[in-house]
Amino acid sequence: MIPRSLSPRSISTELRLRQRFYHSYDHPPHPGPFTPTETAILSAAIPHIPSHGFTHTALALGAKDAGFIDASTNLFPSGAFSLVHYHLVAQRLALANHKHILHSAPDQKPLGIRTKTKLLLWERLMGNRKIIHRWQEPTNIPTSIAELTSLSDEIWFLAGDTDVDVNWYTKRTILSSIYGATELYMTTDKSPDYTDTKEFLDRRFRDFTVVGKLAESTFQWVGFTAHAGINVLRSKGIRI
Amino acid sequence: MAMMLLNANFSTTRRKADSPAQPTNHERTTHFGYETVAEAEKEARVAGVFSNVAASYDTMNDFMSLGIHRLWKDHFVRSINPGSSSSPSSKGWTMLDIAGGTGDIAFRLLDHATNINASPSSTITISDINPSMLSEGRKRSLQTSYANSPRLSFLVANAERLDNIASNSIDLYTVAFGIRNFTNKEKALREAYRVLKPGGVFACLEFSGVTNPLFDAVYKRWSFGAIPLIGQLVAGDRASYQYLVESIDKFPKQEEFRDMIKDAGFLVPGKGWEDLTGGIAAIHKGIKPVEEDL
Repeated sequence: MIPRSLSPRSISTELRLRQRFYHSYDHPPHPGPFTPTETAILSAAIPHIPSHGFTHTALALGAKDAGFIDASTNLFPSGAFSLVHYHLVAQRLALANHKHILHSAPDQKPLGIRTKTKLLLWERLMGNRKIIHRWQEPTNIPTSIAELTSLSDEIWFLAGDTDVDVNWYTKRTILSSIYGATELYMTTDKSPDYTDTKEFLDRRFRDFTVVGKLAESTFQWVGFTAHAGINVLRSKGIRI
Repeated sequence: MAMMLLNANFSTTRRKADSPAQPTNHERTTHFGYETVAEAEKEARVAGVFSNVAASYDTMNDFMSLGIHRLWKDHFVRSINPGSSSSPSSKGWTMLDIAGGTGDIAFRLLDHATNINASPSSTITISDINPSMLSEGRKRSLQTSYANSPRLSFLVANAERLDNIASNSIDLYTVAFGIRNFTNKEKALREAYRVLKPGGVFACLEFSGVTNPLFDAVYKRWSFGAIPLIGQLVAGDRASYQYLVESIDKFPKQEEFRDMIKDAGFLVPGKGWEDLTGGIAAIHKGIKPVEEDL
């Protein structure tokens, strides 16, 4: 995943790409993939999801509430998936509102990056609580993966991570997998206030701490082994 | 062989761009295939073409698109999903199919609404400027369950002046392979905007621009080489089919037509169109915005 500002692309491609996978101070944040009308209908449809699921019916109810008619669902070429997409985007952008995590009061000790990451992840999971019983496998894999990557980047960014090294990728991948696993766990969690999910998340983070150091040395080990392997093959006469 | 040469001559005289009959100073002009004609004349010329082709319309469509036009029309109707509603007790859709003389699209819309969306109260009016095409549609409706029912009605009307249809009254306005024949497309788009309810859908299925240049070259060869010939052999009318392929070529391509739809006031979904079969045809949609009460 090459940062877009570095790869050679034409203007039209850049305009077509509606999402940036990382935060950049040089480029203003994108207004989002939905037009004002789409946003009006989709946000009106979200309250209907608990009872109707991520379906065309919920979308049509949202259209009606926003002053449109049933036929207006034609505004969404991806149909009911637009609801899924909108939910993901709206929840991700709402993370920036959690001021109590992001900005501590002057008399309190500021929270560490890892703690903030965990708290933000938890807030994001709680954003799902009303609809988690309707959550199914995504039907549009590219968009869903793109959103997961954006979420992971958003959380690290809000938590204050400013490192720009090769671990940038590792951190985001790890967070994405923690989030994915925990969300999946949450779909079957029936405990009050999702306490089981909280414990699951804590366990994942503990693994992460242990694995973190390991990952760095593993990465080195894999690199050295691969290099050695290639040299062995070269010594056998294979041209690589 | 001699017959074909005679007809080849006939078509070349019509094919000269900017024919010698120049319109007078104050008349506005438009195109009729590759000819430039006065606007007032185009309507009559198009009427001539369609009165001639009415009976063999579907056969010709099958030949020209190798049967694919049926798939396009099925996909068109499915993507609109007519008759869908959020509550089982809704009133059904009020639909209008423009230039829909033979009923292809209208019957599909009614079938989808009735059978897939369980909306027996959805209705449709088939409108066409050409009475021959409409009587062909009436004839075909006898094969369906909608003949002589309040769900289906026929209207002779010019899409640029739908005086009989009230403003803000239609849920869905469709036009399939018709708009390229209109004298003034912008006027038709504005009429569509007028008759649609706020939130209503404009959906247009029409020939468009092939996106791949190699495929485009092959397609143009087929269109201009084979279709008028088939028209001559099957329907005995080379001139009408020559007009048809020329009008396809002159029709605005995807982006341009999408911009015309936006200029009429519509909101467009996504990029505004969907290409079919590499761009040979395209589906354009527009939604009429609702008034903001702020």
